[in-house]
Amino acid sequence: MNIQEYIESGILEEYALGVLSEVERAEVERIARQHPEVDRELQNVVRALDAYAEAHAVTPPADLRERVLQGWQQAIRETTPAATPPANGTSTTPPPMMASAAAPAAGATPDGAVVRQLPAQESNGGRTRWLIAASVALLMLSALGNFMLYNRLKETEANLEVAQTEQSRYAATQKAALNERDQQLRVLRNEAFRAVELKGTPKAPQALARVYYNPQTKAVYVDVRNLPAPPAGKQYQLWALDNGKPVDAGVLAAATTAGDSIQQMKDIASAQAFAMTVEDEGGVASPTLSTMTVIGNL
Amino acid sequence: MLPVSVPTPESAALETEVLLVQRLRDRDEGAMTIFYDKYSAALYGVILRIVKKEEIAEDVLQEAMVKIWHSFPSYDADKGRLFTWVMNVCRNLAIDKIRSRQYRVGSRTQPIEESAALRQAAEPAFRPEHIGLQEMTRQLNPEQRQIVDLLYFGGFTQSEVAEELSLPLGTVKTRARAAIKVLSKLIR
Repeated sequence: MNIQEYIESGILEEYALGVLSEVERAEVERIARQHPEVDRELQNVVRALDAYAEAHAVTPPADLRERVLQGWQQAIRETTPAATPPANGTSTTPPPMMASAAAPAAGATPDGAVVRQLPAQESNGGRTRWLIAASVALLMLSALGNFMLYNRLKETEANLEVAQTEQSRYAATQKAALNERDQQLRVLRNEAFRAVELKGTPKAPQALARVYYNPQTKAVYVDVRNLPAPPAGKQYQLWALDNGKPVDAGVLAAATTAGDSIQQMKDIASAQAFAMTVEDEGGVASPTLSTMTVIGNL
Repeated sequence: MLPVSVPTPESAALETEVLLVQRLRDRDEGAMTIFYDKYSAALYGVILRIVKKEEIAEDVLQEAMVKIWHSFPSYDADKGRLFTWVMNVCRNLAIDKIRSRQYRVGSRTQPIEESAALRQAAEPAFRPEHIGLQEMTRQLNPEQRQIVDLLYFGGFTQSEVAEELSLPLGTVKTRARAAIKVLSKLIR
């Protein structure tokens, strides 16, 4: 072959301009490998067009750098290796591919068109897919978040209700207790009431209780300081002694016995002394003198 | 591989390019930042020259970066410089873009002087022997320039150019060849 004619045929320019088909391109490369002159001329032509391209250089706006690099990174992240276009033969040489899609007349290979289209579609499609995936993920996260917040709200409401119930119950209890204390306080502060110290008998020397007796209203209150716990099935019973005769003044509640509160007993018309005995639960008609624990005179 | 006309800067540039190629081959993502800094002005300028709208040029540049990354294993350094390869990727994507947007033939052949890209100042590129656009266009006559631009930026084949300009194919080839000869003389 005539090398000079080949060089002057214009095919090297076409190669550099990227208008050759894949087959023609491979042929040029083959000949260039065999003939240093052709190779040298080919490189010259390529470099000439590179220089022409470079002469058109325009520095992109500064903010474009960040956007493009980020967009690139996002695009390659979302593209799994499987979706990556395979490194096939046609993509090794971009220029001939450009001839294919737009210029079918110029001996284009359909393969070239496919390979060339892929990245653009992949990038656009990938971006859309990514956006959809991100939207769905955000929506699901949001729904999950709402669901959790709703549950927490319900839980909080339930807790609040319990707390309010407890609070009102506590308030009621406290109010009742306060009323009782107020009443007890009135008793204690009332001048009409006479306090009677009931001291322990030899049977229970440490025992101590106090009776408040209002001779006018006949009201009797008992306030235990210290009493031995009664045996099971037994209760303390208060007696008023009127002219040596015991009169039932009622049994002591467990709380009273323990000293937790002052208890109002049965009204007593007249008394000179008070005493307590241990009796069967519910009380008895006449005291068991052997179980007398405390006694005191007015 | 290349005839080295200006030994020191040229070989230095080649060395940087070899390192960059190696990093890209190793799938080193950080290399793309270097790649951007090194080539974005040249690539963006050509893309802008083809698509003529800045927002489209940005999209194309990003698509090109993705494509370059994914098809990098197919880049063969023995067949040509990285610059040539990536420039072709960008050119092809940009030409696809204007075709997919159904640019009419008429709009593609509008006078080059009207393009927005031309009015922008060309920035100094990375090659020490870089020759400005003004000087290049002074050296090319309008007919040569029209043909080179249609071929290089328009994605036309020589036959299509012949048809477009109502010229014999032989004339188109002669002019294209003459134009490229002028350009290659400029960079020697």
